Amino acid sequence: MAAPPLSAAPERWVSLETTAQGDVLRLAGHWRLSSLASIEAGLSELPAVRPLAGVDGAALASLDTAGALTLLRHLRRRGLDPAGVDYGSFADEHRRVVAVTLKRLPPAEARAPRRARNALTALGAWASELSVLLAGHLGFLGAVAAGLGASLLSPRRLRLRELAAQFRHTTLTALPVVSLVTFLIGVVFAYLLGQQAQRYGAGIFVVDGVALGMAREFSPIIVAVIVAGRSGAAFTAQLGTMRLTEETDAIRVLGLSPMDVLVLPRVLALVAGLPLLVFAGNVMGNLGAMAMTATNLGIPPPVYVERLHIALAPRHFIVGLVKAPVFALFIAVIGIRMGMSVPRDTRAIGISTTSTVVQGIVCVILLDAFFAVLFQELDI
Amino acid sequence: MDGPVIEVRDVHTRFGREAVHRGVSFHVGRGELVALIGGSGTGKSVMLREMIGLLRPSAGTLRVLGTDVWNCTPAQLRSLRRRIGVMFQDGALFSSLDVAHNVAVPLFENTRLPPELVWPLVELRIALAGLPPEAGGKMPSELSGGMRKRAAIARALALEPEILFLDEPGSGLDPVTARAFDQLMRFLASDLGITVFLVTHDLDTLLGVADRVIVLSQGRVLADGPVASVIGTDDPWVRAYFGARTTIAAEASHGA
Repeated sequence: MAAPPLSAAPERWVSLETTAQGDVLRLAGHWRLSSLASIEAGLSELPAVRPLAGVDGAALASLDTAGALTLLRHLRRRGLDPAGVDYGSFADEHRRVVAVTLKRLPPAEARAPRRARNALTALGAWASELSVLLAGHLGFLGAVAAGLGASLLSPRRLRLRELAAQFRHTTLTALPVVSLVTFLIGVVFAYLLGQQAQRYGAGIFVVDGVALGMAREFSPIIVAVIVAGRSGAAFTAQLGTMRLTEETDAIRVLGLSPMDVLVLPRVLALVAGLPLLVFAGNVMGNLGAMAMTATNLGIPPPVYVERLHIALAPRHFIVGLVKAPVFALFIAVIGIRMGMSVPRDTRAIGISTTSTVVQGIVCVILLDAFFAVLFQELDI
Repeated sequence: MDGPVIEVRDVHTRFGREAVHRGVSFHVGRGELVALIGGSGTGKSVMLREMIGLLRPSAGTLRVLGTDVWNCTPAQLRSLRRRIGVMFQDGALFSSLDVAHNVAVPLFENTRLPPELVWPLVELRIALAGLPPEAGGKMPSELSGGMRKRAAIARALALEPEILFLDEPGSGLDPVTARAFDQLMRFLASDLGITVFLVTHDLDTLLGVADRVIVLSQGRVLADGPVASVIGTDDPWVRAYFGARTTIAAEASHGA
């Protein structure tokens, strides 16, 4: 039988030569990663009528491990044990590549596809993860309460400098964004109420609506959501990074308590700062509403302020300010705990930070609903 | 194809006023395992980053596989990068992907191979790097330092590179793991014919597996040759560097 015309058509990677013992695979050309797809196509086009008896690699121009892997896998598919085949016809360097690949040949069975979780398992896993998370938060809340108690007994443990720095980061620097957002909410709210109230000639009651709405609900909720996004996320990212760089461990080893140095200043700063931000939000919301009523409803600012005195009983105002520290406590506890429990893995900080923001916002809304029910029952 | 695969000629690097390289030149031939050593701050890693096209030298030329790294088109640089593999100091594995997917990234991005061809190839790469098959399903964060480096090598090997660059392969590994790593590099150079260029501090790596050592000092190549000839260099730093080992060896044999 004449030699197959390999040199004439180098893109023909492989051909079959029929011998007495069976078919012999004749390889040719550059069996390299770059041509793997067409090599594989060439192999799969070969007729598989007679059993395979051997391989002839004398005409190979080059061979890399990817090419060798393809060859060995083909041999195995054709029912030949790749380890038992004679590679004597291969050039020395090609034989070495085959030997290297043979030694590390992945097992024949196909890569097991990842078992997809079914919906029920996923729900169960999610629920158990959530319960572990919540239990952890509860435990940490207890630890924070114990830490607070301890620092009340010995106030010297309180780190004023750290507290001041955290107050600056969480409260003072949040003022501009809180002011802007609540001002605009005041504008929009007054516009919306004005549209309806004007029809009944009750424009002045816009003041009642805005004053009550801002003081009781909007300012606390909106400010808490902003702070959950800002400071909650910052706590997680800061403490998570400190954990990755083993700074928290260093604090412990130096005989300091992470609770005193890291946790309490953040909690106290936020608990003290959030009511102040809510107050600022009240003021800005009413200013925004005042701007709107003055231009659209013909209520001049002095009239607005006068109506405000009548409409806004102190209890409404206090309701808002009472909620704020509770929101702050939960935001701080979530943010700090998520940061302190970040797994040691760079990707985890991003995931934990996102989770902190989501948990913080959901928690604020849940607490607010709880307060609404509570105040209704107490008739406040 | 028999010319040097890496050609560094008269490279100068300055950071502000500080001159890191003042005329560094050397070659690396195909299939060699070459180690670049030098004290801290002598610009070893900087040199490596210049060779793989991450950091531009102030002057000089760097040719890798015939391509002038800092004077070529983006397309040429891209095709060069497909022919080299790099292992960064701590692996630089993509932390959101498991090991198998890390190794598969270059294959899916740079070739048109169908998945049923890619996955066996990924398994082969993982095995070539000396990892057990089950490592493929692990996330980088679940791996020890040594395994992370092996996984990084598996990824660097994905596209059958002609040159493998390694930054501090032995750092952070215990001596036993580091020696196994040396054997892996030797295997890649000897059995797969890959040119291996590494930056290291590790004396045992030099003595055990390197074909050639290039010593950087004060911005220049201080010595270049097989370990045996470099040891004889009359330079305080080289003497101190290799002296550390002879002292330990002498004390150990003395104590025994």
